[in-house]
Amino acid sequence: MINIEIDGKRIETENGSTVIEAAHQAGISIPHFCYHKKLSIAASCRMCLVQVEKAPKPLPACATPVTEGMKVFTHSEQAVKAQKGVMEFLLVNHPLDCPICDQGGECMLQDMSVGYGGGASRYHEEKRTVLAKDIGPLVSAEEMSRCINCTRCVRFGQEVAGQMELGQAFRGEHAEIMSFVSGTVDSELSGNMIDLCPVGALTSKPFRYKARSWELSRRRSVSAHDSLGSGLAVHTKNNHVLRVTPIENEEINECWLSDKDRFACEGLNSPERLTKPMIKQDGKWQEVEWQTALEYAANGLRHIASGAGAEQIGALATANSTLEELYLLQKLMRGLGSDNVDFRLRQADFSADGKQQGAPWLGMPIADISRLDSVLIVGSFLRKDHPLFASRIRQAVKKGAQANIIHSVDDDLLMKVANKAIVAPDALVTALSQVAQALDAEKNGKAQTASAEAVAIAKSLSGGGCVAVLLGNFAQQHPQAAQLQALAQQIAAATNGKFGFLGEAANSVGGYLAQATPGSKGMNAAAMLAAPRKAYVLLNVEAELDTANPQQALAAMQAADMVIAMSAYRHHATNYADVLLPIAPYTETSGTFVSAEGRVQSFKGAVKPLGEARPAWKVLRVLGNLLKLSGFDQDTSEAVRDEAIGGMDIAAQLSNASQATDQPAIPTPQSSGMQRVSDVPIYATDAVVRRSAPLQATADAAVPRVWMHGSELQKLGVKDGDMVRVVQGLGGVTLAVAADDKLPQGVVRVANGHAATAVLGAMFGTISVERA
Amino acid sequence: MANIFNFFKSFLLLELLKGMAVTGKHLFSHKITVEYPEEKTPQSFRFRGLHAQRRYASGEERCIGCKLCEAVCPAMAIKIEVAERGDGSRRTTQYDIDLTKCIFCGFCEESCPVDAIVETRVFEYHGEKRGDLYYTKPMLLAVGDKHEAQIAKDRAADAKYR
Repeated sequence: MINIEIDGKRIETENGSTVIEAAHQAGISIPHFCYHKKLSIAASCRMCLVQVEKAPKPLPACATPVTEGMKVFTHSEQAVKAQKGVMEFLLVNHPLDCPICDQGGECMLQDMSVGYGGGASRYHEEKRTVLAKDIGPLVSAEEMSRCINCTRCVRFGQEVAGQMELGQAFRGEHAEIMSFVSGTVDSELSGNMIDLCPVGALTSKPFRYKARSWELSRRRSVSAHDSLGSGLAVHTKNNHVLRVTPIENEEINECWLSDKDRFACEGLNSPERLTKPMIKQDGKWQEVEWQTALEYAANGLRHIASGAGAEQIGALATANSTLEELYLLQKLMRGLGSDNVDFRLRQADFSADGKQQGAPWLGMPIADISRLDSVLIVGSFLRKDHPLFASRIRQAVKKGAQANIIHSVDDDLLMKVANKAIVAPDALVTALSQVAQALDAEKNGKAQTASAEAVAIAKSLSGGGCVAVLLGNFAQQHPQAAQLQALAQQIAAATNGKFGFLGEAANSVGGYLAQATPGSKGMNAAAMLAAPRKAYVLLNVEAELDTANPQQALAAMQAADMVIAMSAYRHHATNYADVLLPIAPYTETSGTFVSAEGRVQSFKGAVKPLGEARPAWKVLRVLGNLLKLSGFDQDTSEAVRDEAIGGMDIAAQLSNASQATDQPAIPTPQSSGMQRVSDVPIYATDAVVRRSAPLQATADAAVPRVWMHGSELQKLGVKDGDMVRVVQGLGGVTLAVAADDKLPQGVVRVANGHAATAVLGAMFGTISVERA
Repeated sequence: MANIFNFFKSFLLLELLKGMAVTGKHLFSHKITVEYPEEKTPQSFRFRGLHAQRRYASGEERCIGCKLCEAVCPAMAIKIEVAERGDGSRRTTQYDIDLTKCIFCGFCEESCPVDAIVETRVFEYHGEKRGDLYYTKPMLLAVGDKHEAQIAKDRAADAKYR
């Protein structure tokens, strides 16, 4: 520890910290632009000049390390003069037209200029002009003349997003920020540049000119789009959500937000929103009153329960429904006498059900990921499925952690990957078991028989320190997920590490806590669709987009006598549903999400539900009343939550341990035809995201292509970019083919969850490709 | 003694004569009454009457939709919606002043960075039914177009004090 003095205040600070850090720690503000606590030091703006005793000239506080006995003056005559001078220089080229700037009212330059600048400009010559750039549908670079060249956006790309998409070209007065050869900024974290930009150079494109910062009310909410549970500040005006910004929390999202969380709100006011309950009569949709629609639904359910039997009713919900909704849905089903309720729609292997000791979770707090020394990530499209988990792991890797990958595709994770084993999906279990084997051999001093990659991964994991095995969405959706889980458990035990699931959606843990899973006599999501039920209750589900096997799901829906779809949108359900009940998405309802780390976060609605849409928990409650079931008289969502998890020791409910057989059987890979590998594209994960126009305009939301190894393309006799027909079961679709030589042989990568591939079958399994 | 004094005061109608003297004085003095509407009182160039939106000589509307007037308005009489126009500039799609709320404080014109919203010398306007005094953007622009010469003259006169 070092003792310094700032403005006469004695401060004890850590060795190696800078003056600005020490000052902020003591609550003394020093004006700055280029300095940001999460980014490297650039010292390019010079705004933080302070006077230091015995230094002949003012020094930049952000780049000056503290020394014992240092005396710093932030408001002395010399410091103030320096700050005023720098401010005048910064404003020389900055347009003074704050009234038309979108940043006006929340601009650092504006604030600092009032606090530290002169009253009027002495500069009357011409200002420099920087041409506008088009860097994609999310971030607007229309006003690049406003840039003060602090390079925060550049450093963010390099250091946090892992990808330098913006850079500073030219020198001196001609220096400007631009993307490489007019490219777009495609990072899944690009929206953070908007927050980082201290001026109005990089602003939000969808939000452009929509409102002033002072007109907006901010409401706290929680992200509904991934399992991280990022804190959101939802900015509203006139009962409309206009934008979303992060709420800082070091333990969850730090100060970042993924583009999915930030721009999904654009889908909330989509023209596809369902605003009135609807009933299909004689093949025609009719708007009706809530009472009519609910009675129709209740009568239908009662009729089927008494006629065909309650087990002929199945309930499916997505994992981004709130805890309250999932709880009431399962309560409704169980009240009716059916145990068929599930929220794990993309899962294929349910053999761990009943053997699971608790709700599968991350296995550790999110913040611990930053402290890992070695991590094995199994089956995860990490960057696209979990942008901020990826960023945390990237930071850990920068600090020396080793990232090891076992997966079926080799996408660029924008970080140094120590070892990787890229195998076809049916060999995933074998690949992971080899790591377990190698660890075992290493421990017992036996000769290594496993593959070289497995030995390298085992070596990396057995290095001691903090070790974790993380199972991604691909591993969780894998047909041998239970075996992968058992092996991960085994590896974690052998390395004294932790293991867990990254989690697919906002409430992947909460669904278990709400008991929205079938009991011993119930059917899980896959079984319910494989053996079609007579009636389905769908909560937030788009059958052809949210399930593991769209073909099968759609067939089951079409065969059903009655489908009650609770949805915020009018979607494909109009083809198979009988009742459409408009429900409120996450900004319009109160609710609770339980994040991957088991953090229970409740939130209130930021705006009123659109039209006649109502929170789903209220709809389910009234349905319960109409069906004359007991225990449906909660007045608030808090009451539902307390009934579901009140008094529950959440930590005790979380467990990845499975009582499955200690040594799982390893199936031998069968090589019959091509195997499908499917990801859910980042902007196709849930209903709201799918309707956000700016997100759908990004490169990540392009129509999926069929990716295969180059040699497979040659075998087929097609070139990169040609059209091919992929067929699975009864359905086929013609898509463009693309070569990815990093894919294993015999693998075809086609995305699931996208409208273009909704006619295909299971996410895993055989698929045939033919020339179109 | 006082009784005798009062007797003479009332007997000689002294009070009446005093009053008549005042009346007489005013009968022949200069008149200050204005014969409205034939005659009008003089107005300052800072007179704060009916609002107007101005245009540049090119015909382009001045307002850039910065919303400062909306923010400063103490009566919350102004409502503005902004969007990007085809040419990329920031323009209002809605600019309404509810004159029944307005207290004519002049803060809006003072806050305007482009002299777009101004208060004119017009004070003779009325509404015959509810909503007539809710001035929308076309109405405000029409007022501006009609009185632009006077508005420009008044701004020029006031310029040296700003």
